[in-house]
Amino acid sequence: MSVEQRDPHSGYLTTGHEWNGITELNTPVPRPVYVFLILTVVFSVVYWVLMPAWPLGSSFTKGLLGADDRAALARSIQQATATRSAWTDQIAGKSFAEIEADPRLMADVRRAGHTLFGDNCSVCHGRDARGGKGFPNLTTSSWLWGGSPEAIAETIRVGINAPHADSRVSQMPAFGRDGILKRDEMENVVAYVLSLSKPPALGDKVAAERITAGKAVFAANCVACHGAEAKGNPELGAPDLTDAHWIHGNDENSIYADVWGGLKGQMPGWEGRLTPIERKILVLYLIDLRSKRP
Amino acid sequence: MFGFHYKLERKAISFTLAIIFVASIGGLVEIAPLFTIQQTVEEAPDMRVYTPLELAGRNIYVREGCYACHSQMIRTLRDEVERYGPYSLAVESKYDHPMLWGSKRTGPDLARVGGKYSDDWHLAHMINPRDLVPQSIMPDYARLLRTQLRTDDLGRHLKAMRAVGVPYTDEMIANAAADAKGQATPDDPAAEGVTKRYGEATNVRAFDGRPDQLTEMDAMIAYLQILGRLTDAAYKTAAAPGR
Amino acid sequence: MIGQLTRTERQIALVILICVAAFGLAIAAAGKDDPIGAHGWLIMVLCIFGVFGVISGYFAPEPSEERLDSYYDEPSRVGIVLSMAWAALGLFVGDWVAWLMVDPALTFDAAWASYGRLRPVHTTAVIFGFGGNALIATSFYVMQRTSRARLPDQLSPLFVLLGYNLFCLLAVSGYLLGITQSKEYAEPEWYADLWLVIVWVTYFVVYLRTLARRKEPHIYVANWYYMAFILVVAMLHIVNNLSVPVSFGSAKSYSLFSGVQDAMTQWWYGHNAVAFFLTAGFLGMLYYFLPKRAGRPLFSYRLSIISFWGITFLYMWAGSHHLHYTALPQWVQTLGMTFSVMLLVPSWASAANALLTLNGAWHRVRDDATLRFMMVAAVFYGLSTFEGSFMAIRPVNALSHYTDWTVGHVHAGALGWVAMITFGSIYAIVPWLWKRERMHSDRLVEVHFWLALAGTIIYVIAMWNSGIIQGLMWRTYSTSGTLAYSFVDSLIAMKPYYIARAIGGLLFLIGGLVGCYNIWMTIRTAPRGVSEPSIAIPEAPLAVIPGRPGAAPQSAE
Ligand code: HEC
Ligand code: HEC
Ligand code: HEC
Ligand code: HEM
Ligand code: HEM
Ligand SMILES: [Ca+2]
Ligand SMILES: [Ca+2]
Ligand SMILES: [Cu+2]
Repeated sequence: MSVEQRDPHSGYLTTGHEWNGITELNTPVPRPVYVFLILTVVFSVVYWVLMPAWPLGSSFTKGLLGADDRAALARSIQQATATRSAWTDQIAGKSFAEIEADPRLMADVRRAGHTLFGDNCSVCHGRDARGGKGFPNLTTSSWLWGGSPEAIAETIRVGINAPHADSRVSQMPAFGRDGILKRDEMENVVAYVLSLSKPPALGDKVAAERITAGKAVFAANCVACHGAEAKGNPELGAPDLTDAHWIHGNDENSIYADVWGGLKGQMPGWEGRLTPIERKILVLYLIDLRSKRP
Repeated sequence: MFGFHYKLERKAISFTLAIIFVASIGGLVEIAPLFTIQQTVEEAPDMRVYTPLELAGRNIYVREGCYACHSQMIRTLRDEVERYGPYSLAVESKYDHPMLWGSKRTGPDLARVGGKYSDDWHLAHMINPRDLVPQSIMPDYARLLRTQLRTDDLGRHLKAMRAVGVPYTDEMIANAAADAKGQATPDDPAAEGVTKRYGEATNVRAFDGRPDQLTEMDAMIAYLQILGRLTDAAYKTAAAPGR
Repeated sequence: MIGQLTRTERQIALVILICVAAFGLAIAAAGKDDPIGAHGWLIMVLCIFGVFGVISGYFAPEPSEERLDSYYDEPSRVGIVLSMAWAALGLFVGDWVAWLMVDPALTFDAAWASYGRLRPVHTTAVIFGFGGNALIATSFYVMQRTSRARLPDQLSPLFVLLGYNLFCLLAVSGYLLGITQSKEYAEPEWYADLWLVIVWVTYFVVYLRTLARRKEPHIYVANWYYMAFILVVAMLHIVNNLSVPVSFGSAKSYSLFSGVQDAMTQWWYGHNAVAFFLTAGFLGMLYYFLPKRAGRPLFSYRLSIISFWGITFLYMWAGSHHLHYTALPQWVQTLGMTFSVMLLVPSWASAANALLTLNGAWHRVRDDATLRFMMVAAVFYGLSTFEGSFMAIRPVNALSHYTDWTVGHVHAGALGWVAMITFGSIYAIVPWLWKRERMHSDRLVEVHFWLALAGTIIYVIAMWNSGIIQGLMWRTYSTSGTLAYSFVDSLIAMKPYYIARAIGGLLFLIGGLVGCYNIWMTIRTAPRGVSEPSIAIPEAPLAVIPGRPGAAPQSAE
């Protein structure tokens, strides 16, 4: 039954079988197939000899090179740290002012800071560090906890209302929810707070009355934290209410909501996650951003 | 060789057996030793199991397909360690049935996201990622906040986990539903049971900002906040950079 | 369909349908507070429809004894139609998912339409729905003809096909409902997994019984591949899906393995799902339809042997290349990498075997878009296996892993190889199955070919670019020795490529729809006539005339 035939095109014989019209040629395996097979096998065998490769019950062959990804990584990080130390040592050793005065170091700060900020801080504070609703703008001169480099460094280290043991703690009471103030008192104090940054239209009698009433409410309830002038208090993390920078919005509704429900912003501490040098770079990065945008 | 094959290909059963034999070798050699070689999974005495609430969150993570975009496996490469933190250890996913290492990073790796951001941030981010990261392409999950968490079957979930080898105690199983509620309601008496059974370091908070309700968002955030923090083992390795 | 079953088979079909319906009802009752309940109802309603279907045809005349003289092609016809339906769905969702990565607002705020749920719908619909149906349909067709034996009975092949589609339906609807195990390409939950085991064992038995009745002494190489596909997929499926359900009334289960062992098992499965579903099965298709359509003898029997056993042996070791530099022990990574490199040889050998078969028929490749589909498929097969072996090398994978490069590789294989060989084979088989002279329109086949090719090239090039840029951005260091880009920087850089990919996908989708239309019109309106030389089972082999013209239907011009 099996009749071998010669393919007129290639000149090879068929195997003599036929499946619904399909035949196969008995063409020998092309030489390159064997060559490549041998090459890849040789490569593999060499690789097995050099690298960890074969399991042996409760252990495995370690390979002649003694290669180990984890050890190699530890070495490469050590090496990288050593290479970087050319400038990171100076960051660690010099004062903020000295570093700011050194344009070469500041160039390093900007390069490293961009990515550190982008990967760790930007989801809250925005890629340009200008904040968003609920998260402060870090490019202004208005700071909750003080704008000195040391204060900023401390905030970054311990966080605000964070699980860190030394965390900065700040909270504004919920005057409405907790029944401390009545509705019209709150409306009045909101009008007063608004008037501090946006002077009311002249001659609006009603507004003027509310502001006066609100001022009294403020004096009784708010000055403890925000100060008599409402300029804030960096000891308590209470913001200045007279400037143009608002974390939670400066329209009537937002401010009412702040007073009604209170506030307790949270920022994680970075001590366990970022090295002291990385944190110092971030402080400098922020100072640098601030200096560009007065 | 070709002659032998010429015979083999005439016998269906032998051919079948040959395929099964040839195809079994690789898997046996590569998978079986992972159970016998001790070094495969590191020792970590401080490793704890997921609380019922975290487990529920993990199941929501699976249900929503977060793993399609997020890996939970930091490789032993310098850039990954510098960006995300110490590389992942096998022991860290010892209680992960199944593992969620992932194969694609459309979003960032989440292996060490626990504690990196605040609960409020996660809440706002899950409600609409673009409110916080305008360039984000992550879907929003606001509906998790609107959905009450189902807890009545959590005990059975823990039991099934125990059946596959996770050391849940009878007490944990019996209190699963109460512990889920307690972990997200700090003022509730049930909250104490959670720290008693799962350790003082367990996060007990109103994760979704609504202590009066137990929502799927509570579970989701509780899970995200524990990622990478079931054990400290990874922070003790030589490559934990400069820490 | 029912008309082709004997009376006893109709009775058995009723019994099966009623049993499965009862099972559905049991699940629906036990899981009334759980998503599984919805699946219980779905199973029950479908089976009740089935029962009515069987009853309405129950008293139709039985098929005559003469049926045994010809091949049984009803399951293949149904399978081809289902395959194209799944293709339309899977490609549509694929493109939807692609647009979601451009604009995440395209979800209409619905839970089921969020990215994480739709993505597995896409992968399952294309791999298991489109690919799987095409494999089952063509395997029945090819096996009968290369064995010169009719399928053993009328019912079991239909059971395999419809049972398999029930599995796909449970899978895809499950993801939308939030039912998933999260294991890539094995996402369906425990009850769907168990159902697939039953279906798959039946499939294997059908195959063996047909082979046992064959009149050809030698088993043709296409069947080696189909057999490897069936057997190994069964092994993989069972091991990777071992899990403990929370309860009978719960869709949720916890996998038996955890952590590193689970990861290795998953990628042993995942990689070999690629190997034995997306490669071996489709090589079976290639080994039948390409020589048949080209009217040429297969280039080399010996090369087939080398590549078949090479693929079967080596692939099973390569899964760990999905876990390079992870917490998987390094020795396993070494094995995965080296075996992936060796794997290139048999892979290229099978691609070469296909392309060299075309020697002497290149003029047909030029004129016949159907054959050109198959030729391009073989080229992309060679390309994606080369790329795969390259990406399996550890330092390369350090860059490519987690990035769009993988997605580019996947779709070079999926669009260029899997979909192209399937479309080519379907265009060949449709006139044969429905006894038409030819396709409704050869022009439209040509249109489909160019849309598919353009779509694939745009897709793959976009993803190579985005993947490599992504990988590089993640590991680029500034001159200060610190990371140069944040993650979000890389996300922003991806935008144009995601748009390009979605456009490429759209072209591919349109091509697929053109194909659906053309096939539909062929079935509905093309003139009847015989395009296949053998419909009845021949007593003796066909006369062997190498290069015999007419094996492939020629275009009219
Ligand atoms: C989870 C969100 C979040 C992340 C991430 C975050 N922050 Fe903050 N940050 C806040 C919030 C909220 C506040 C304000 C707290 C308040 O309102 O009391 C704040 C405040 C600050 C302040 C104090 C501002 C002031 O006016 O005194 C500094 C400085 C700061 N963040 C820097 C950083 C840096 C640097 C990083 C990254 C390493 C970072 N933040 C990451 C949420 C975050
Ligand atoms: C116990 C201290 C405390 C008291 C009392 C207090 N505040 Fe505050 N207030 C804060 C702190 C701290 C913040 C910043 C909270 C944050 O951002 O997380 C704040 C923030 C605010 C803000 C939002 C500022 C912005 O940038 O968006 C407003 C408005 C405000 N307070 C108004 C008031 C008014 C009106 C009262 C009195 C009725 C008051 N506060 C009483 C501590 C206090
Ligand atoms: C379409 C892909 C996609 C899906 C699905 C997705 N994400 Fe994301 N995710 C992203 C992207 C992109 C980012 C980065 C931008 C951002 O922060 O929103 C991200 C960021 C995050 C972050 C912040 C990580 C960090 O370190 O900055 C968390 C946490 C997160 N996602 C959790 C989830 C959870 C939980 C789910 C599922 C319920 C999910 N994601 C589903 C794409 C996705
Ligand atoms: C010699 C043959 C091949 C080898 C060695 C190979 C190798 C690889 C490698 C190294 C990856 C990336 C793994 C990672 O980094 O996560 C991968 C992914 C993938 N390949 Fe291949 N490949 C081959 C052929 C194919 C073919 C023909 C297809 C057909 C479609 C295919 C489909 C896939 C899929 C779907 C994935 C993605 C898996 C996932 O992450 O979900 N591969 N392959
Ligand atoms: C219209 C054509 C298609 C489009 C637009 C498309 C689009 C996509 C998209 C956007 C993804 C997700 C990628 C990511 O996570 O970044 C994806 C994944 C995938 N697609 Fe497609 N696809 C198409 C066709 C196909 C076909 C025909 C197949 C298989 C036969 C296929 C198999 C896959 C697989 C296996 C994955 C998962 C890859 C991985 O996990 O790495 N796709 N597709
Ligand atoms: Ca994947
Ligand atoms: Ca499964
Ligand atoms: Cu693979």
